[in-house]
Amino acid sequence: MLMDFPDGLAQENPHHTISLPALTTLDINLRRGGPLPRLIAILSSISSAPALGSVTIGHNRWSKIDQPFRGAWADIDRWLAQVARQARVRGGLSVMLKWWPKGKPVWEGFLCDFRRAGGQVKTDAHS
Amino acid sequence: MNSLPQELIDTIIDGLPRPSLLSSSLVAKRWRRRSQQRALERIKFLSEAQVNRWCTDFPQDPEGIISYVQVARFEGIFFWSDPATFCRALKSLGSLTELWVSRTEIPDELPGQISRGELGKGITVLRLLSTSCTLATVVSVILSLPSLEVLRIVHPRVKSRGLLQSHPVTSQRTPLDLLELRGYVGGIEKALADSGFTFRRLFLDVDLSGVEQLIMLSSETVMELALYGV
Repeated sequence: MLMDFPDGLAQENPHHTISLPALTTLDINLRRGGPLPRLIAILSSISSAPALGSVTIGHNRWSKIDQPFRGAWADIDRWLAQVARQARVRGGLSVMLKWWPKGKPVWEGFLCDFRRAGGQVKTDAHS
Repeated sequence: MNSLPQELIDTIIDGLPRPSLLSSSLVAKRWRRRSQQRALERIKFLSEAQVNRWCTDFPQDPEGIISYVQVARFEGIFFWSDPATFCRALKSLGSLTELWVSRTEIPDELPGQISRGELGKGITVLRLLSTSCTLATVVSVILSLPSLEVLRIVHPRVKSRGLLQSHPVTSQRTPLDLLELRGYVGGIEKALADSGFTFRRLFLDVDLSGVEQLIMLSSETVMELALYGV
């Protein structure tokens, strides 16, 4: 299964798709404000992870997630919806989202594809 | 004191802070062994002179207290004036299960001695942090450790490629527990991928050139994947 990302990032690495039948835990650790194209390319090469139960998105909670990374977040959202909808997403990022002022449009649709596909985002501040 | 079961004494000693272990080893004969085991289970070398003193004071003695050393850390020895010193120290540490090499040179003589079975048989954890070495040496070390389970390499300082030989893992080796590669690793990732190792846990910087290949090689075995956006 090839991902069809509108910004074309996945096309950098369309050669192989990888199935990870034993994968239960995925940690995504971000720096410099947001997900990089390289990370998106690697994720997009993973086409299947049926046992994946936990996705942690770690982030430096003190740095802002910049608007330019919005497209990359959408890519991650779509990847989660397609490959990891049975998983629960948690981590420092969701803690930060809870702190973000309400009414900021950048977050309105955060991980909406993933949620729509049945995925859970844990926003417990103690997670 | 004599009525106390040994298990209880051991539990008491296990709860003592490290600085108290010398004193506790002098309480009674039944306190000595466990105290010495705990005091010596982890050692750290910070200079070549210190390593030399160790080799002089504790010649090879598989049954002696030197056998209590489980974890050895070499730190800040950027250059060995006598590279044989490092190998001699490792030879004396026959019970070693974890080897940490931090900001320290790995001499080119090491992999040959490991291959010949002279040292490193029991090492299951290898941690290399800012280690100075040639690519050929570090790859040969990794591939020749027969019991390796956990491999963590962070910001190695690969001096040159050296004569990189092909070391495919031909025997049906079971998956290793963990591979962590962080920072610029100078071709180590490619050599590992070529070797055919598989892993149950992968912690990888996304900027490494061979990330997809490493994931693909372990696709059937990997249970935990951590990706670091640098």
